[in-house]
Amino acid sequence: MASPATATAALPGAALIDTRLEAYGECRPLPQHPPVSTTVSDLLKAAPCLAVMPARDEAPTVGAVVEGVRRTLGCEILVVDDASSDETAAAARCAGAAVLRLPIGLGAWGATQAGIRYARRHGFPQVITLDADGQHLPESLPLLIEAQARTGADVVIGTCTQRLSRAKRLAWRYLRLLTGLELADFTSGLRLYDADAIEVLSGQAASLLDYQDVGVLMLLSRSGLTITETPVEMLPRRAGRSRVFASWPVVARYMMHTTVLCLAQLDPARRRTTGADPSC
Amino acid sequence: MLTGQITSAIIGIALAGAILFLVRRDHLHGPYALWWFAVAAATFALGVFPALIAWLGRVTGIFYAPVLPIVVGLSLVLIRMLKLDIDRSRQERQIRRLTQKLAILEQELDRLDGRSGRPRLPEDDAS
Repeated sequence: MASPATATAALPGAALIDTRLEAYGECRPLPQHPPVSTTVSDLLKAAPCLAVMPARDEAPTVGAVVEGVRRTLGCEILVVDDASSDETAAAARCAGAAVLRLPIGLGAWGATQAGIRYARRHGFPQVITLDADGQHLPESLPLLIEAQARTGADVVIGTCTQRLSRAKRLAWRYLRLLTGLELADFTSGLRLYDADAIEVLSGQAASLLDYQDVGVLMLLSRSGLTITETPVEMLPRRAGRSRVFASWPVVARYMMHTTVLCLAQLDPARRRTTGADPSC
Repeated sequence: MLTGQITSAIIGIALAGAILFLVRRDHLHGPYALWWFAVAAATFALGVFPALIAWLGRVTGIFYAPVLPIVVGLSLVLIRMLKLDIDRSRQERQIRRLTQKLAILEQELDRLDGRSGRPRLPEDDAS
């Protein structure tokens, strides 16, 4: 646990104001605006991290998830609206989240990366990503932070192995073989990234990835970052279906895409850099 | 009845003309224009002077000379398509990053305007 002094120094709000001071320079006076968190107790309670939720047409659930995250972590929350056609942005804003509205749909990873770039720009040392459809429980977020503190890994993935179907288990075994990454679940969107991971993932190299799973994990691993998993509980999706495991043709395309990606980036040295969390 | 030479001349001139027109109208920029200028010149020359093909065949040792332009043309098309996909990927990356940056800057603008608290109104998007 950081002392209050360091916590204040690392607070996102302070960094934000500094950035703005630089940005405005001497051109015109800095406009008065309220700090990110309003009260002192809020400031102290706030973990120096940003919760990023990519959301496409999730208006019915996004508000409740934002509330849940704030209750559990008290950190700043950013909803990235991936060109939704419903009221996702308004619902998120009403619930008190900051909202990025992508004018063009970029997919789950593109939206997440927008959030990661926002975090980098505003000096957040940690990003937690979770889905806006309510399948990730806000109560499981402290588990990620705790696992990060315990293992010192750069990336922590919240995994729910009970939830995996047989097809997924088979697919993941194949991907483990292909990538050399010792992970139980490649697609889980419940993740914690530290400052080094934020730096890597906000770069150009991560911009052409289409899925948040294998390509992102291989990029992280190639950059020498450590990835670990921690078991968490998850709910079944309330609305909508998995974007990756929607139908057999989609799965086939995904597997082909991923195989090509893996073969293109095959690197034997990488196979030693990851360590699985022994507790799972 | 057209002779083979007139047919190939018409095709060559029409293709070269169409390409020149597109380049001049600024539909193709920079390096693309240069490439297509070369293609236009080649189709024009080969269309109007088919004897060039026979000469090229003798020079390169290809026995059935008429197949030569097809082979060369196809390989050039493949190279061109490869380059096209490379360029498209680069542009896709730029578009994605610009989209993200646009959303981030818009959010900061809203915040500086002190509008973060209230839901966005439809007229905000209209502007």
